[in-house]
Amino acid sequence: MKSAWSGFKAIVIKDLVIELRARQVLPTMIVLGMLIVFILRLVVEPSSGRAEMPMMAAAALWIAFLFSGLLAQERSFGVEQQNGCIDGLWSAPLDAGTIYLAKLLANVVILSIFEMVIVPAVLLSFSLRVTGRWLDLVIVLALGNLGISSVGTLFSAVVQLARTRGALLSIVVLVVLLPMLIPASFALLVLFGAMPEEVGGSGTLAFVGSFRAAQGYLLAFDAVFIVACWLLFGVVVKE
Amino acid sequence: MRRWFMALAIVMLMLSTWLGLTKGQIVPVQRNILYVHVPNSIGALLCFAVLLVASVAYLITDRQIYDWIAAAAAEVGTVLASILNATGMIFSRAEWNVWWTPSPRLVSSALLWFLYVVYLILRTSLPGSPRRRARICAVFGIIAFLDVPMVYISARFIPDIHRPDFSFESSWQSLALMLGMVGTIVLAGVLIWLRTDLLRRRFELENRLHD
Repeated sequence: MKSAWSGFKAIVIKDLVIELRARQVLPTMIVLGMLIVFILRLVVEPSSGRAEMPMMAAAALWIAFLFSGLLAQERSFGVEQQNGCIDGLWSAPLDAGTIYLAKLLANVVILSIFEMVIVPAVLLSFSLRVTGRWLDLVIVLALGNLGISSVGTLFSAVVQLARTRGALLSIVVLVVLLPMLIPASFALLVLFGAMPEEVGGSGTLAFVGSFRAAQGYLLAFDAVFIVACWLLFGVVVKE
Repeated sequence: MRRWFMALAIVMLMLSTWLGLTKGQIVPVQRNILYVHVPNSIGALLCFAVLLVASVAYLITDRQIYDWIAAAAAEVGTVLASILNATGMIFSRAEWNVWWTPSPRLVSSALLWFLYVVYLILRTSLPGSPRRRARICAVFGIIAFLDVPMVYISARFIPDIHRPDFSFESSWQSLALMLGMVGTIVLAGVLIWLRTDLLRRRFELENRLHD
């Protein structure tokens, strides 16, 4: 137990130190995220009405998280390919699940740093107000972050040897995360004031129902994905 | 054996179409697409169940036959899900005047198609030993299935423009639909069987070449 904990800590610290010293991926992630936000901001003209602002902002935030998150996740095991570091990682006296959780935590931290930059950028450029709902916003973003990182970290280890690894990782991760993005978008639309707290009717968003339910779905997806990936990680990396 | 099942399935599907369009015709006319649409939706879901069971079985037993069954189920499922979405879109245009709308049912059918297609792409792009590829695909199959309960099963319990409960006016209609469903399931089963066999033979041939 003690050695698992120290191994866990060592991997997390190693990944974060590499990232902070070499700045391999964070600058790229932030610029990509800002470009996505900028492009989507261009589409909303002042004349087209303010109602579109929150919708486009919610779309911009999740698209930026997904694609920048993919960059972080691809690097997560990509960085181990150099100098055969990956062999050292697999031969460490650690359970594969522990390696997965350590890599997941490192990815979550990197994506959180990214969120701290990109969320204010979105709020400012789309002139949104989240009066009094800051805690809710942080919870929704953190749950989204966990979900995006959980699936991405698992499949990052899988695609490394493939010729088209980035493209492959993106389709695999996006298709698995697709259902999670419905409650995620719902929650952001409520927080940005584009939708009432509860929605009826027959659309996909009505399926989610209310803001509390959206948070519940996000939590459920996170729990299921993290547990499943943690259990199955050992299977995919076995040679 | 396989040939007989195939013939049986084709006869059932032809009978289903004939009955559906003569004695069991539904008014208005565009709703007759149901005789193709509903069997294909059941078939596409069942193929996913086969894919899941085969993936779990592969991870437990490590026998390659289950990997081939999973691959075959994904291929057949892709075809069924494509027909499901195509007929659904045609019906949607005729009935509601839109090709597609994000209602829960339609989203889950589209998701099913995406999951199949990504599974097939993943299979063809992974390098390394066949066993490693089989394990990774099995894991993807299981994780992809985690999406299905939430989207598909709960979609039945909320109001939606898509109504799963359709009331039949005559027993000819239910007979036609039943024949269509059984025919599609038998056809899908035979095709999975056929593809599994082909994959096994390809594997044996490759082994012989390498020896």
